[in-house]
Amino acid sequence: MEHPKIGVFLSDCGKQLSEILDFDAMTNFVKNVPNVTLIARDSEFWRGKGLQTIIDSIKDKKINRVVVAETLPKLSEVHIAETVENAGLNPYLVEVIDLKDHCAWPHRATPKEATEKAKAMLLAAIERAKLLEPIEKLEFPALKSALIIGGGIAGMQAAVDLTDLGFQVNLIEKQPFLGGLAARAGHFFPTDDCAICIQSPSSDVKTITHTSRKCVYRSGFSELPNLKILTNSRVVAVEGVPGNYTVTIEKKPRYVDESKCIACDKCTTVCPVEVPDEYNAKLKTRKAIYMNVPNVHPPVYVIDESVCRFHDCAKCVKVCPTNAIDLDQKPEQVTLNVGSVVVATGFREFDSSAIKEYHYDDYPDVITNLELARMIDGFGPTGGAIIRPSDGKPAKKIVFIQCVGSRDRRYNPYCSGICCMISLKHASLIKSAVPDADVSICYIDIRTTGREHEYYYERAREMGIKFVKGRPTEIYADTETGKLIVDVEDALLKRFLDLEADLVVLAPAMIPAEGTKELAEILGLELEADGFFKEYNAKLRPTETKLRGIFLCGGTTFPKDAPTASLHAHSAAMKTAKFLTSGKIVKDQRTAIVNEDYCGDCEFCPVTCPYGAISLEPTTEDHFVARVNDLLCEGCGVCVGTCPLNAIELRHSRPNQMWAQMNALMSINGTSKPLVLAICCQECGHTAVDSSGMAGMQYPANVRVMKVPCAGIVRVDQILGAFKAGAQAVMVVGCKSDGCHYEVGSDKAEKKIDLAKVLLKEYGIEPERLEMFKMVYIEGDKFAEAAQMMTERATKLGPLKLMVTEGGEI
Amino acid sequence: MMTDKMERTVMSFSDEVTSRHGGETLTACYQCGTCASSCPVAKLDSSFNPREIIKLSLLGEKEEVLSGNAIWLCCSCFNCQERCPQKVEIADLIYALRNIALEAGHSPSIYSDFASALMNEGRVVSISKFVEKKREEYGLPPLRPVGMEALNKILSATGFTKPEKTEATK
Repeated sequence: MEHPKIGVFLSDCGKQLSEILDFDAMTNFVKNVPNVTLIARDSEFWRGKGLQTIIDSIKDKKINRVVVAETLPKLSEVHIAETVENAGLNPYLVEVIDLKDHCAWPHRATPKEATEKAKAMLLAAIERAKLLEPIEKLEFPALKSALIIGGGIAGMQAAVDLTDLGFQVNLIEKQPFLGGLAARAGHFFPTDDCAICIQSPSSDVKTITHTSRKCVYRSGFSELPNLKILTNSRVVAVEGVPGNYTVTIEKKPRYVDESKCIACDKCTTVCPVEVPDEYNAKLKTRKAIYMNVPNVHPPVYVIDESVCRFHDCAKCVKVCPTNAIDLDQKPEQVTLNVGSVVVATGFREFDSSAIKEYHYDDYPDVITNLELARMIDGFGPTGGAIIRPSDGKPAKKIVFIQCVGSRDRRYNPYCSGICCMISLKHASLIKSAVPDADVSICYIDIRTTGREHEYYYERAREMGIKFVKGRPTEIYADTETGKLIVDVEDALLKRFLDLEADLVVLAPAMIPAEGTKELAEILGLELEADGFFKEYNAKLRPTETKLRGIFLCGGTTFPKDAPTASLHAHSAAMKTAKFLTSGKIVKDQRTAIVNEDYCGDCEFCPVTCPYGAISLEPTTEDHFVARVNDLLCEGCGVCVGTCPLNAIELRHSRPNQMWAQMNALMSINGTSKPLVLAICCQECGHTAVDSSGMAGMQYPANVRVMKVPCAGIVRVDQILGAFKAGAQAVMVVGCKSDGCHYEVGSDKAEKKIDLAKVLLKEYGIEPERLEMFKMVYIEGDKFAEAAQMMTERATKLGPLKLMVTEGGEI
Repeated sequence: MMTDKMERTVMSFSDEVTSRHGGETLTACYQCGTCASSCPVAKLDSSFNPREIIKLSLLGEKEEVLSGNAIWLCCSCFNCQERCPQKVEIADLIYALRNIALEAGHSPSIYSDFASALMNEGRVVSISKFVEKKREEYGLPPLRPVGMEALNKILSATGFTKPEKTEATK
């Protein structure tokens, strides 16, 4: 490595800092630090004249390391790094520290002590800078194609967006027909229009008006040249890396050739097999060869292989005018190469039979909202008539029961969010069609939080729909009349009502789609406790996952109504497009690297890595080593903190860089108080220090802050080393558990701190000298308090006594 | 200090209930009324309604809950507890309320009668001529006298013989 020539640039932030810190003393100090070849002072270094000074110093004075003391480092370092790069130096040979928020402001009352701390901070930056290595930019190819799993409303919307943007899209659907749950719903709220309506593609499909929305089957969607639709298919394997996945898909035989079928209906006429039609709530039967409803996509029959008699019958084959039926079709394996994957598998109704007292399995006249939707749908089994399934007679007294299995700690503790609106919509549709129907809704709380949603509640009351505040305990059949009775307390009246009903409609919880768990395993994604897919960040990255290249939309993350699923799908499409659009993925190599000579193939790091970036690969016949995939590695260093042999390092936070920084911070005290080292993660921890300084919160100058990528990188030997370096107390500051920017880092750190405390005790060091804190950026007050607390603790405990062994080590 | 922020000084009635064995689940209640419609007692006697007892406890209506008759009417069928979607242990909670009421000196006299009978005769229900005669008819042996010495040891070891009115005597 070339000899480090360090330039130090001291900004006094328009003379603000020099009112507190002694800049002359600092300059004299820095001057004598080996390898420092240049010191410059100005009022700012991250723009204008100051920035030019840095450029000139690199070009003319040939400095090869840049240390800048500047305000707002998280902003200024972007400009500085960019400028440094333009001047011909690797942008990662720069170290920016904040003398304002991390020193002058919080120690305003003790300027002398603050100056000493500033010297330590500068020394730490210089020592680290000396050891920094250039970091290269890596480029990986990204295929301009995507796989969308799930052909419901979200999957279809995302497919339209991505094809419109020119990507090659493969849409796969497990069922034989597109449309998903939404298509079964018949009508949508709050638009009161059809559920099979989607946004028309705006790209070049002839004869389709672009600005409109259309039914799935006439939207032109299926004719998009760069869209491939695979129904009756499921993903069985996903291999490869973001930007270049190889997906294996299993396509079940349809037994009907999609390119030949003309949907003439002859086959169903001759088919002798009749089975209950599950799609249509078993309110009618269908044949072994069937379509769900006439307006489906693809408009091609399918044979139900579980009931078809195949060659023993083959009547359909004989009548088919286009020879479209092929009873010998075999399952097909399709291999696709795609740049990214969008999961749009959605949700389904909870099985209401779990709640025995509602007798969903026993009484045919107890149905669910989805089954009712089939009844209301004009294309449905009753042609829109509301009937009693038990005898087919019109249903006049209808009772809805909300929260069946949702908001229920025994099954699904969450509120499914859309069921109130579904019941309100259905109740109103029934009331419009049958004005003399007696409709009641038993509810715990009515939740109509979307735009136009409260109107549905208003309208329902106007229509004379009755609302009973109470969750029924039981549905039973009257022993004499056989009529259903809903046993409920109206809590507002404090009165028990026995509601007679022809039809009871349950509003079941919405739960993750079937196969969600298996798919998550195939993709390497995590599920939340509720069983839905876990998004990267619910607030800011709601369609991304911790795996670059895999996106989520629609009901995969939680039950959603159509407008929300739509929004989510557009967002996922946008994120996917952004990811693939340049045809490459560019990222810097601030990643982990394994020293293969030390690696003991213990499997700790591959299991710990939240991104699946580490794999064990064979070297010789009986030896494996861990290898890091630079594309997948996010550079958190959780693996570093986990490796029992210290065989893995981060290129931009190598142990020697961290030791140098730590020793420098502890080499100067300058206060009467015991030194406290605060190891802060660069995400919430370090920014909480920023915010305490910005707000002018005070804590003593003996507290020294060391930035690490993630609290998870901290190793036990580093904590012990901090005490050896002179710290009288050590605090590790990370993000809150569920807010850790690297998923598991903060929690891993906490466990390590617990372990380190045990070791400290063994060494005769009071474990109270070590503490883990978790906070977010805005909790600057919490950091100041913690810093104060640890200082007081160390003061109370008195000077640290280290046991010295023969070798002079602790 | 940052660790002590959450310390509470005044204990509300709902805190008092949730700190009791059996009362822990009180705050989970969202007043859906499943318990009330499940309750065979509530359907016969409008002075008892488990949902109402929980609501009053949550609102801190201590006197009303403890001094009334309602909490003593529960027949412990556990129907409500079985069906509660929030897993509120309603029957157990009513036991907790009864314990608090007893300590505060509120209890129907039949409970102290039972207690005295147990301490004096070793039985909650005294042996009556009627019972003796019936047993004879069925060919059952006469009931044996209770070993009062052993019983008294157990009663005093478990604190049963201590005066109950801890709160009222303060």
